[in-house]
Amino acid sequence: MQEEQIIAGLRAKDRKTTEYLYDKYSRALYAVISRIVFDKDIAEEVFHDAFVKITKKIDRYDESKGRLYTWMANICRNSAIDKLRSKEISQSGKTNTIDDFVYGMESQSGTQEHIDGIGVKELMIELNEDQKFIVEYIYFKGYTHSEVSEEFDIPLGTVKSRVRAAIQVLKKNVARI
Amino acid sequence: MDIQSYISSGKLELFLLGELTEREREEVIDFAKRYPEIQQELDDLQETMFAFDNMTGVAPSQEVKEKIFSTLESDFILKEAPKPTAIPAEAKVVPISSPWKPFAIAASIAAIVASGAAFYYAGKYEERNNQFTALLQDQSVLADNLNQVNQAYDEKDSQLNEFVAGNFKRVEMRGEGFDMQKDAKVDVLWDQNASKVYVASNNLHDLSEEFDYQLWAIGDNGPVGIGLVNSGEKLTLQQMEAVAQAGAFAITIEPKGGSKAPTMEKLVVLGEVA
Repeated sequence: MQEEQIIAGLRAKDRKTTEYLYDKYSRALYAVISRIVFDKDIAEEVFHDAFVKITKKIDRYDESKGRLYTWMANICRNSAIDKLRSKEISQSGKTNTIDDFVYGMESQSGTQEHIDGIGVKELMIELNEDQKFIVEYIYFKGYTHSEVSEEFDIPLGTVKSRVRAAIQVLKKNVARI
Repeated sequence: MDIQSYISSGKLELFLLGELTEREREEVIDFAKRYPEIQQELDDLQETMFAFDNMTGVAPSQEVKEKIFSTLESDFILKEAPKPTAIPAEAKVVPISSPWKPFAIAASIAAIVASGAAFYYAGKYEERNNQFTALLQDQSVLADNLNQVNQAYDEKDSQLNEFVAGNFKRVEMRGEGFDMQKDAKVDVLWDQNASKVYVASNNLHDLSEEFDYQLWAIGDNGPVGIGLVNSGEKLTLQQMEAVAQAGAFAITIEPKGGSKAPTMEKLVVLGEVA
């Protein structure tokens, strides 16, 4: 299904299109959430709400501002960040790191998901410390680039160029796998 | 613009994270439209992020899927349900069990009719409003035109008054005797008492940008420049500077803006006052 067809189908509240959307994107979107919200039950709750939000807000999606996936991923990311910063989670005191995430995935023994999933480790392996740090804070802990800059006293331009460099490494690795 | 350094600035990555200000976002969208390399990079990045998320993620559980689709069920039902045309018919069949029902139905129908009418008239209003705005614009254009015509008329009217009341002498200036433009012909109209001079160009070649025609009144003290002649305005009267005494009039070609003394090699026409 082409992206335009998916969008038109979603706008028309078509069940089949919604199912197609779910099948194609649920894994990736859930990944965006679950690397920020570590608790599985809460992550699934956030995913539920975010997915429903996506179908309801589809009229507000503007094609000129990016692909459908990017828009959906940002809704998921923002929902996860909101949840993470709400009292509900911060009291449990859990913080996410790439290592936790990798460990978490590896510990899910014997599940179908584990066999399908390619480890973050393989994708991260070539990131240097600086880049790993940036990816961890921005993609796993849901910091904005200006928050990273302020909190760790890294110039904004440096944050930007490290985000860029890290994604370039990921791009290379994604293409290779 | 240096596209490569824009691409490598990291701005596009932040754009995709939704972290740019509105102004910066518009800039990225604009550049992506104008520079295919930037659009390509945006596409690649989005492809990468999707691949990265998809590869590293695990599928959410089946229960979540079921829960999501049961939440969305009502949306689908609304869409898939047949059109609710059956409702009024049903209302007729159901015996009226309580006294408010007919009123409620009547009120609903009235509300529907009223909303329909409101939409209809809102549409009409919008249409009329647009027409009205268009008419106002037309009217202001017409008013401007009328103003210009009035001014032109006043000018002609006062010229005509001058000619009727004054004592104008016609001095024909010709180019026959000179090398520049043999067929040139320009008339000077001169009212010696009022010192007024008009010039009407019958035939003058067009000049290039760097030159002007300059009119000279030649009197006892030699030639005096009395203004530039517009060769484009054929057969219209152009008022020149005042001259009380002159034995002849002449036009020369001078550098743009005119000269203090005439360039005699570029004498175009000459006419003696009879």
